[in-house]
Amino acid sequence: MMRSLIFGALSAIALPMAGQAAEGTPIQVTGEIIDTWCYYSGVMGSPDAVVGSAHHTCALWCSAGGIPVGLLAEDGTVYMVLKVGDDDQTAGGDGILKLAAHTVEADGTLYQRDGLNYIVVSEVVSDLDITNQNHDDYGNVPPFSIPKSARPGGE
Amino acid sequence: MLRTLLTIMALAVGMPAASQSPFPVDIGGPYALLDQHGQTRTEADPDGKAQLVFFGYANCLNICSAALPLMAQVVDELAADGIDVTPVMITVAPDQDTVETMGEPLAEIHTDFVGLTGDEDALQGAYDAFKVEVEPLFEDPEYGWIYSHGSFVHLLDADGELLTLLPPILDVSQATKIARGYLNPQG
Repeated sequence: MMRSLIFGALSAIALPMAGQAAEGTPIQVTGEIIDTWCYYSGVMGSPDAVVGSAHHTCALWCSAGGIPVGLLAEDGTVYMVLKVGDDDQTAGGDGILKLAAHTVEADGTLYQRDGLNYIVVSEVVSDLDITNQNHDDYGNVPPFSIPKSARPGGE
Repeated sequence: MLRTLLTIMALAVGMPAASQSPFPVDIGGPYALLDQHGQTRTEADPDGKAQLVFFGYANCLNICSAALPLMAQVVDELAADGIDVTPVMITVAPDQDTVETMGEPLAEIHTDFVGLTGDEDALQGAYDAFKVEVEPLFEDPEYGWIYSHGSFVHLLDADGELLTLLPPILDVSQATKIARGYLNPQG
């Protein structure tokens, strides 16, 4: 249910015909680089909890694990990041690891396919760091993303 | 304005024609690898079926543990509509996924699963063609090396041409709906 509801944000734009050729639209988006798996699956918590500083460590793990990253815009739209800059791989992996949970201003091109929003980021114009400081509200989400020995007061 | 123009020009230079790839990144290409029976398999399905292709490994604890079952369920949903699709996993861990070892864990996910492995050059060629980044992260004492790897599921036609991508974060109904839009029932 959670995933279906959130999927609405990803596919808010009318479903284009399958097989529609890629035609991009220049776009500038300000938003947070998110871990799409935790955001859509709901397994780690509510959408508000799996973003920002509360979810930074897990987002690093997921990004390093190759899970596609997304760009969560201020209006709630999620753009699947297909490519960043000169990276010749599709998004995922550690290419944009340093941007996990960061709010960025990105120039790029929007491609709408299968009802999904994909963005090819040509340039991260500014990296505003982690602006969503929600760890006071949620703690570290999920707690096990930080090894016990590395937690404050841990062994 | 100048930045916008430069962006469009930069993208246009690196962008294949729409007929070559449905995405602005040219994804897909030829490969020749070995399946779990030791038979060579290329990007073309020998039975003329469409294909769901994922790069991962059979004992992956991370995104593969979601993506591979997703693929299996999409295959079953499409089969119910008379659309035959072959699920294919190309290994990113050839040290762990060999001809001898990868068949059994994949069969537990779906009996039609095809696992593909090969030598370093053959696999790298497939990774490069599909723009998949593979990076060893650390060695787990129980499971061996843990790898970072790209995780889009690729929907290919019977000839191995990319039809579209399926982000592994979709649920079964959403992924099936997208795939169905590209495929026709057989027979």
